[in-house]
Amino acid sequence: MADSRDDFIIAVRYALLKKGVKQKFSLFFLIIVSVFILILDKLSFPVVDSSRAILNDFVYEVTYITSTPGKFATYLNEKKNDHFNVVSKNKILKEEIEILKTARYDNLYLKTENYSLRKVLELGNTHSQKDEILIKARVILDRESPYLKSLLISKGTKHDIIKGMSVFSKGYLIGTVIESNYLTARVLLITDLNSKIPVVIQDTNVNAILVGIGKNTDLSLEYLPDGFVLDPNKIIYTSGKGGFLSIGLPIAETYLDKKNNLYIKSLADPQQASIIYVTRGQFNK
Amino acid sequence: MNTLRGIKNILLNNLVVFIFYMLSFSTFERLKEISDIATFSFNLQMIIVYIYILKFPSHLGYGHIFFAGIIKDVVSGLPLGTSSLSYLVLCLSTSYIRNATLRPKMTAEWIAFIPALFFSNALFYIIITNFSHLSFYYTELLQNTFFTFLFFPFFYFIIINYQKNFIKDNA
Repeated sequence: MADSRDDFIIAVRYALLKKGVKQKFSLFFLIIVSVFILILDKLSFPVVDSSRAILNDFVYEVTYITSTPGKFATYLNEKKNDHFNVVSKNKILKEEIEILKTARYDNLYLKTENYSLRKVLELGNTHSQKDEILIKARVILDRESPYLKSLLISKGTKHDIIKGMSVFSKGYLIGTVIESNYLTARVLLITDLNSKIPVVIQDTNVNAILVGIGKNTDLSLEYLPDGFVLDPNKIIYTSGKGGFLSIGLPIAETYLDKKNNLYIKSLADPQQASIIYVTRGQFNK
Repeated sequence: MNTLRGIKNILLNNLVVFIFYMLSFSTFERLKEISDIATFSFNLQMIIVYIYILKFPSHLGYGHIFFAGIIKDVVSGLPLGTSSLSYLVLCLSTSYIRNATLRPKMTAEWIAFIPALFFSNALFYIIITNFSHLSFYYTELLQNTFFTFLFFPFFYFIIINYQKNFIKDNA
């Protein structure tokens, strides 16, 4: 018994300390270095943070370059599909234009009515010039990871992007900035498990928290009142609670699938975003 | 002619290191063609680490594994050092298996991959839960581990044949 234990200890010690042929470092040394890096990263000293930001910028740029051939292949495939779908798409777009034309008149009416009511209630215009400044950025990487649904964008602290800013694609909220380096930034998508947004449901006063479930566009609602039944085809807006986002930004909608199960999906498809807008005004605290 | 042959040999000898770094930069998890079937996600880097440390330890250095792990952490947004530590623990298990094995057989090595994967992923899980605020589906990690184990023989034969046919000192 003692002999076999000794053998085990000797074998583990051999595996840890022996460098082997052409090995420059021992396993023991590298494990210690890894633990040291992990602790430094956890402690988040200013020096470590700035070093990590430099490392992030470098690695993101290299990753962008290495992903270019794959992106080009995807681009060619999409272009081919677009070419074959152009006729059917044109028909759908014509129908959409007709619907939008009608909706435009409704919007104009509502806008005028809103303006008059604000005047009566003596409410100021909530949109200031400063608030509407948008920073346009390019998505440099949208790698799918089972642990984090995020995007890397081509602007960082150099372009006044800071942690906590809101990110929009095609007019819809897709996420928030969680890490800002000098030249790049990481955006946590609303579809990620770690994303939690206070929302309100259309035609109700019900507040809830919209959380990601790690799928491409599907989302989930938490903290709904007991007995509340969610209806299909309802838009979900930000409630602005906590001052994190402004009120009334459309984020998601409810829908029924083929089996009549109710689901919630994001209005934007974060995985398809290529050009995004980062706000530093109204939408940010 | 000799120069060209030399370059060719250098490229062939270092191809695995290049692929290993490329996998880190791309955070490869599954084939895009079957992206709707998330269950097929697997960790190719772990398979490569296990096979190379077990059979051809001189072709993939621990230093490369460490740096590739750091790069993967940066790209994936994980705490720095998580993947490195996870891979190095896999190296430790593999190195122990290599020293303890008298007559190497593919099936025995495949079975020995289970405890090696277990220790590596257990450490990964511990770090994620204690050193970060990230949350993820544990079943996905389990599925990833299962398919990493399942796809092992396929990559085993590819790598063994590649080493036999293209790398001279293993022929």
